Parts: sequence; structure tokens; C-alpha cells
Amino acid sequence: MKFVISREALIKPLQLVAGVVERRQTLPVLSNILLVAEGDQLSMTGTDLEVELVGRVTLDEPAEAGSVTVPARKLMDICKSLPDSARIELTLTGQKMVIKAGRSRFSLSTLPAAEFPNVEDSPETLELSMVQQQLRNLIDKTGFSMAQQDVRYYLNGMLLEIADGKLRAVSTDGHRLATSVTDVEAEDGLQHQIIVPRKGILELARLLQNGDAELRLVIGASHIRAHVGDFTFTSKLVDGKFPDYERVIPKNGDKILLSDRMELRQVLSRIAILSNEKYRGVRLALSPGYLQVMANNPEQEEAEETLAVDYDGDSLEVGFNVNYLLDCLSILNSDVVRLTLSDSNSSALVEGFDEEGNLYVVMPMRM
Amino acid sequence: MQRKIIHCDCDCFFAAVEMRDNPELRSIPIAIGGSADRRGVIATCNYMAREFGVRSAMSTAHALKLCPHLRVVSGNMAKYREVSQQVMNIFLEYTEIIEPLSLDEAFIDVTGSQHLQGSATLIADEIRRRVKEEVGISISAGVAPNKFLAKVASDWNKPDGIYVVLPNQVDAFVLTLPVKKISGVGEKTAEKLKKIGVETCQDLRAKSLAELVEGFGAFGKRLFDLSRGVDERPVKVSRIRKSISVEHTYPQDLADLESCIAQLPVLMEELDLRYTKLKEARAITGVVVKVKFFDFVQTTAEHTVTYPDIAHFRQLLIDAFNRGLRPVRLIGVGYRLADEGKDQPLQLSLLGDY
Repeated sequence: MKFVISREALIKPLQLVAGVVERRQTLPVLSNILLVAEGDQLSMTGTDLEVELVGRVTLDEPAEAGSVTVPARKLMDICKSLPDSARIELTLTGQKMVIKAGRSRFSLSTLPAAEFPNVEDSPETLELSMVQQQLRNLIDKTGFSMAQQDVRYYLNGMLLEIADGKLRAVSTDGHRLATSVTDVEAEDGLQHQIIVPRKGILELARLLQNGDAELRLVIGASHIRAHVGDFTFTSKLVDGKFPDYERVIPKNGDKILLSDRMELRQVLSRIAILSNEKYRGVRLALSPGYLQVMANNPEQEEAEETLAVDYDGDSLEVGFNVNYLLDCLSILNSDVVRLTLSDSNSSALVEGFDEEGNLYVVMPMRM
Repeated sequence: MQRKIIHCDCDCFFAAVEMRDNPELRSIPIAIGGSADRRGVIATCNYMAREFGVRSAMSTAHALKLCPHLRVVSGNMAKYREVSQQVMNIFLEYTEIIEPLSLDEAFIDVTGSQHLQGSATLIADEIRRRVKEEVGISISAGVAPNKFLAKVASDWNKPDGIYVVLPNQVDAFVLTLPVKKISGVGEKTAEKLKKIGVETCQDLRAKSLAELVEGFGAFGKRLFDLSRGVDERPVKVSRIRKSISVEHTYPQDLADLESCIAQLPVLMEELDLRYTKLKEARAITGVVVKVKFFDFVQTTAEHTVTYPDIAHFRQLLIDAFNRGLRPVRLIGVGYRLADEGKDQPLQLSLLGDY
């Protein structure tokens, strides 16, 4: 196996593929990436058994065919450290991968390609096409609410639901929920739900960089595959039942507050400085025309600010984890944000005033 | 200053109290526990019963198989608490630095004591004599420069015995100790240690600190210290409660996961009741589920979480059940508690009991 490639052509796909590789591995071959050269095609594969990313590059000149695995991080660090204009020659010599560029020479250990695991395939159940920006947007708008290492494993991921010609993303950590929706072309009456694990979502988002370019999703019984340009990304699905998001979205809120989004965000950020560092609680007091925001901490320090808002409902005092509110306010686009509340023990709905499709639910904190 | 710690441990406490109050129990094997037809377990038994292999935490039914003429007495916790208080009151005459570990055992720190020329050995002797005369039960004591050695020593000449480890004997005493004597070293850790060739504290000393920390985490550092007879833990006057839990042994085994899950709401309600009754409200740092299968193999599953709801318990229960996949006789649920008080706000759950 032997091929020559410019640093420029290699570095981007290599970084993406190596990104999938976990730093700590139980199986030595999993810290490697698989290189396969054939004709003028080079493919690189990284996996952690849950997700797999294959990147393809066209070589300027045909390769001597072959396949082998090499340490991902070391190969990436070597390529990164070479000058931008470098041409890199990789030759498999015995059990070593010899890398030459200019006057530099490296000899990397390898493991046989046969030891490299495949993420198992499952029969295809449906296929969807859209532009990359659509899915990227869903992930950007909702990903922050995914749980992390929660024992309720089905929350450590994102629900993707296809129904009525729409693709909806939902994520929740049990205290707040985020959902966003986009139109897709799908057969009439098609209904399907999957949970993509957290890592799969984060890696997929990194891959979706060309807004208007096509993205093809193939969904199987236990995996999802994304075809993105020269990359094929596969992730296992989480086998579990996601909470019914419809039930969680409050419908009886009668206290509606409109506020300038940036102003509210700035007020909350300021007041948050003196909230309890661990629990991050702030109190909101609503009264006609005004919203008062208050916080204090165990050191008995206090912060308070009042801002003018559009509100003419009953007075209400309610506590929230300020980070949950700030996350929503940062991710919305509208200039005006709408908060819908009912009482201090019920969830609040956070939406952009003229922003269709993105919806956030935040549960209060009893303070 | 050289510390002087005494570990006092009543000999088969519940059984001893029953034998004290009922002479006819003194010459026969007895056990305190739940009755066999209600699937009870043995809490304590006397030494005659132990000769038949009866042990704490064994099912009463099994104990009766080993020792058919065993007399099983149902316990009287109110009485035991009262007797325990009498014993503690005797300790109090020698020092106020007392750390009770349970009703029948305590560390006491007599460093700098003016009693009996400041001799910890004489104090321990006198305590043992007075407990026997004034309370009517026997108590064993271990005297040593720290808690670890005092605890090992109290077991050395049990029952009704005393063992003293003088500061200049610490080294020799520790060297011969099997690692199993170290509190915190259970079967699993002992097995793990054996795999790396460690069976005694002497073997343990041959290991570097780095190696022990690598293999056992924070406990590795403790193993390193203890194998050298070093234990700086002070005798804490009031022990902070680290967790709160409730458990239930079912009259009939729960055959499958569904029937286990069905028990959760009741257990949770009981747990929350106990939690709200705590004298000092405390923040929660995690949840624990314990499952004991019909064959007495038990397993616990834990999760760190500040705002638990029933779904956390359900998932832990599923995880724990799946390790055994057989009928369940006992389920326990608990909260791990933070040291700090509970001025924490309560984050409400969005998903309810989903």
C-alpha cells in the first residue's frame, strides 16, 4: 500500500474522522483509523462502535492498493504539524506505515485492517433527503437540552420524528425540553421515531457544514446513516422509549409576557452573577408592565433588576435555573421573546415572537 | 500527642440483652430476628447458635435448618435503645469524645484523660467491668493509637475480651494482619488484592502508592496508609448521616421486573416520608437501589443526581434486576445525602413520573 496526498486534501477529512475516535479505548484497534486505498480513491474510517465515520478523498495519482489501520491521533498530529504546502507520501512497509514529507520521516505502528470492526448494519426502513442546513439547524436549536450520562439512557440523545411531512427534533434532560421542526419530503402518512445517541448527534453536527448541499438520511431498525458529500456517517440508535413531548408542552398558560430578547438576556446574565453557583436559581416577579429579576447566594449577596415588559396579567413570582432560561434566549433568533406561564409550579413556554417551529419548555425551581 | 482510642463492641448485643432478661435463654442457642414463615432474617444470635453456623443476615428459615432447636426471639428495639443508652452513659463518664457506630459499638477517644492515670488500658478494663456489673452484658474492647487498629483489636479476644496495641507494637501487629481485617475490604476487594499477590498487610506494604491508587482509586491511598498502621481519622462526636433508605422484604418473591417496578411507588413514598422527617434537612446527591434476589445474592445500583424522580429509581431497578434476572425477595431505595444543609432550591421535574 502506497499513496501520495497533499496535506491540504488530507487534513480536513482526517480531522473529522479522527474526531470520532475516543481518547480512551478498551480495544487497541479502536484508537486507530482504517485507511483503504484503491485506484485513485482513499477512504478513512474511524469508529467507537457506536458511531462510525467514513471519509473519501480522490488522489491525484493512482495508489498502490491496500488497507491497514494506523493510530488516529498520531497521524493527525503529524499531518497538522507539517507545512501547509506539504506533499505526504504514505507507504506500508512490513508492519510499519512510513510517512515522508520533505525531509521529515515517520514510522507509525499499524494493526491489520481485518481487526477493524464494522458498525453493524440493519435493514433499511426509510430514506429522507434535505439540505444539510435543515438538520444542522434542528440540532443547533435543540441539542443543548440533551441529557448527559443520565441513568435514563433514552434521554442521552435526540428524538427525531418524521410525521406529516415534517422532521421534528426533541431533546430533554428532564428539567427542560427543546423542540424544533422542519419540512421534509416524505410519503403521506409516514410516521417514524428514532433516538440518536448524544455522540451521534454531536458528530453529525460537525459534519453538516455546507448549508445548501444535499444530505441523505437512511434509517434502519437500529441505525441511522447520513450521506454528506464525501462522508458517510453511521450511528447506532438508542433502543428505548422517549417521553411523549406533546404531553410535556403546556397548553393552559394564561400569563403571557413579551420582552426584548437581548435585554432580558443581559438582565438575567447580570443577576445570575449572584445566584447560588451550584443551583443557579433566580426569581422572576411579574407585575403589569414590569418584570423584576432577583437572585441571592449562600454568602447573603443579592442582585436585583427591573425591566419594562409587555405584560398585563396577574402578579406571579416564580423561580428558575437561570442557565435554562439563558440557553433558550441565546438560541432563539427573534428580537422579541414570549414567555407563557401559569403558576409557580408549572412549566413555562419560551418562544420567539415571530419564530415558527422552535419551542422551549422550562420547569421552575421552587426556591 | 499520642492518641489513645478505645473501640467498644458489645458481644452479640440483642441476644445478650434477651439472655440477661430471660434466664432460660442463657443455655440454649437463640437468635433475634423475624419468624421463618414471614421470611424473616436473623439480626443477631448468641455464641451457641453461632456454633451451628447461624449468622447475621441469614434467613431465619435457613438458620432453623442449620440449628432446628434454635429459639427465635422477635426483637424489641425500644429496649435495645434503652440498654445502649445505659452503656453510652458509662462511656460518658470517661470522655465526651464518643462516636457511636450503631447501638452496640462506639469509638471513644481518651487521649489526655485524667482518669486512672490516663491509662487507656485501665479505662477500658474499668468500662468493661462496669458494663457487666451495671448493665448486665459483656463488652469487648480494643485499645490502640487509632480507630483502625482499635477496631481490629476489639475483635481479637472477642467475646468478653480486651486487646491492647501499644504504639511500639503497631508495626509488628499490622504486619501479620490479613487484608480482610481492614474495614472496607470485602470479598471483592480481597479477591482483587489476591490477584496481585496481596493477602496480608505485609504484602500490601510492598506495593507502591501509585500502584494502589491506580487499582483502587482513593481507597488505594487508604490501603497504603492502613498497611502501615496509619489512620488519622478523628473520633467524630456526631456522625453525619450519609444516606437514608428504606427497604422491604416481600412475603413472596417478586417473580419478574414488572412486579418489582410495581413496588416502587410505595417504597418511594416511604423514603420521601423519612426524608422529610430528617431532623436537619439535607440536599440529595444521588440515588441508590438495592435488590436482593431469592438466593440472597444482592446488588446495588447508584446514580449521581441532585433532583431525582421516580424514573431514576425505575432505571436503576431495571439495571439491578437485569444483573440477576431471577426472583427478588427484597428491594431497597435510598438517597445519598450531601454534608451541607438543604437551603437548596428544588428543581421541579418536567417529565413527572414518566
